[in-house]
Amino acid sequence: MIDVPAVTGRRRLAPVVAVALSAVALAALALCLGQPVIAPGRLPAVLSGEASALERVMVVELRAPRLLLALFAGAVLGAAGLLLQESLRNPLAVPELLGVSSGAAAAVALVVVFGISVPGAPLVPALAGAAVGGALTIMAVRRAVGPAAVLLIGAAISAALQAVLLTGVSLSDSREQGVLVRYLLGSLTGTTWSTVVTTVPGMLLVLPLTVLALPALGVLRLGDDTATALGLSAGAARVAVLAVGCLLVATVVGPCGPIAWVGFLAPQLARSVRPGAEARSWLVWSTVLGALLVTAADLLARTLLYPIELPVGGLTALIAVVGGVALAARRRRFKDALA
Amino acid sequence: MPRRGVWTVLTAITAFLALAQLMTGSSGNGPAALWGMLGDDVARQIVVELRAPRVLVALAAGACLGIAGCILQALLRNPLAAPEITGIGSGAVLGAVTATLLGGFSATPHGMIGTAIAGGVLGGGVLWVVAARAGSDPLRLSVIGVLISAVLSGITLILLTARPQSTGTMAQWLIGSLNGRGWAHWHALWPWLVLVLVAGLLIAPVLGLLSVDDDHARGVGLEPPRWRSAALLLAVVAAAAAIATVGALSFVGLLAPHAGRLVFGADHRRAIPGSALIGAATVCAADTVAQQLTTLAAAGERPLGIPTGAVTAIVGAVVLIRAARRLSTLTSGGQS
Repeated sequence: MIDVPAVTGRRRLAPVVAVALSAVALAALALCLGQPVIAPGRLPAVLSGEASALERVMVVELRAPRLLLALFAGAVLGAAGLLLQESLRNPLAVPELLGVSSGAAAAVALVVVFGISVPGAPLVPALAGAAVGGALTIMAVRRAVGPAAVLLIGAAISAALQAVLLTGVSLSDSREQGVLVRYLLGSLTGTTWSTVVTTVPGMLLVLPLTVLALPALGVLRLGDDTATALGLSAGAARVAVLAVGCLLVATVVGPCGPIAWVGFLAPQLARSVRPGAEARSWLVWSTVLGALLVTAADLLARTLLYPIELPVGGLTALIAVVGGVALAARRRRFKDALA
Repeated sequence: MPRRGVWTVLTAITAFLALAQLMTGSSGNGPAALWGMLGDDVARQIVVELRAPRVLVALAAGACLGIAGCILQALLRNPLAAPEITGIGSGAVLGAVTATLLGGFSATPHGMIGTAIAGGVLGGGVLWVVAARAGSDPLRLSVIGVLISAVLSGITLILLTARPQSTGTMAQWLIGSLNGRGWAHWHALWPWLVLVLVAGLLIAPVLGLLSVDDDHARGVGLEPPRWRSAALLLAVVAAAAAIATVGALSFVGLLAPHAGRLVFGADHRRAIPGSALIGAATVCAADTVAQQLTTLAAAGERPLGIPTGAVTAIVGAVVLIRAARRLSTLTSGGQS
């Protein structure tokens, strides 16, 4: 095992303070930046209704729900990423490579292209698609052995579902394509309070499930052979954790599309904040950092090329993959976990 | 089976599949229909101007992808390497999408091959630079390739939002399709196929050495980095030429060399043309299936042009899953 250097009180506290401060700063920026820009000092006035109607609508009706959805979506993706990575003991076990994101997106594409009327679209078909994608992966991996095989099988299913999605996009007419591009890319455009009301409760419901998955993670951490020797089923534990991970991802992809690779970077960040800690501690950190990551990315997507709005999923793919690799490349685990 | 027998059987299968593809289309399926069309002056134009080049493009693109995959698998010493999981495929896609957005010469078949090669070189170059720093562990290399692909396709998708009205055509192309491919595409593609096939055969003995380990190559006086970059460039050119012409047909570059090595073993002088042949047959078969599905679906109210890439991706996924399962059970002792 690795020797963990004794952590002093100050070193334990520093990241907590840094994260708390950046959370406050990001939230303030997300509420203030855009057209029109509102000075941070005026925020209390706007929120208490003492400002112009325009400012109030911008902040309360548009920016606040979007901030909230970004925070929750990021938190869920961060938690899901950690569960998937830990359960497969592979830093590349991300929703994008396990069939979950693309399953959800493909289902929505099919519903839109064929004009099927589904109650609760696009949320319900996305959930169903994510479940099918995840279930396909779980079913396909049941007889496979080892994390590398699971990852490869998941990637194959992802690619096939992505093909279904792309077929859907290529068959659709131009009016539908605006909707479908969101499911290729991931986006928080057009979030209102009604979006928040229909989506965030679902996320709040599934987040506590991660706590239930923690004991299973403990089993998996022993390694498949040790777990089997102790009479514990590594396979069953892995399927349970994967199922929770799929559910988490589905609640995000439904309303927002695949906000890609957040589930890769957030757990990496969590591990570098608390090296040598338990999965429990990483889960908390990954959740928090995922929330901040998506909020920051959405802020950039919204303001960088204003009035053009960039797809947040494209930005997170760029930021998270480059950042995640930079972090992971320093770790021996990155190499070992893939063997 | 004796060597020559294998070649005869494979060539016969490929010829049969190409013929089947020639007999497939919206204006009539089957040998009788084809015979009838050849007898009629107008219908013969359909065969000569639409179907024949489509078959040839399918064969050439499949062969290019097979060669690219075969070189990459030897180079990265990874039986599961392929253009789409090294950054080369998504680089080529990025190049070709940029060409489509720019228009003008770059959007012609020749121009698109050029920009796709540039994009593929970008993807392969990133792989090369990162790989040099990360050491030569093949497993690590292929992981890096997956990540480079993710970044490059992220950029491609962001570019897509720049012109929402052409999303449909772009999507056809991101997935890979032979719809509307004609003689112009064939004329742009075949010189590249000849080039990569000849160069591939020339480089094959070195590739065999590199696929074992660098010391063997050094032992006979070769410089592994130089040869490896040459081979990588060749793979980029092969993949980019195919991708620029028919789009990113996934899994062909993975499965063809995989099957090629099963049939022909590790001798790359035979594995390279073998993978080319299997790749060509795969794309022909996939396009025949896609066209048949299109005809079936056209019975509904809305005509659906099923892209060829949808078939290769789904069939390829099933085959890949079976292979991964078998591989994992075979090596389960050494895993994790």
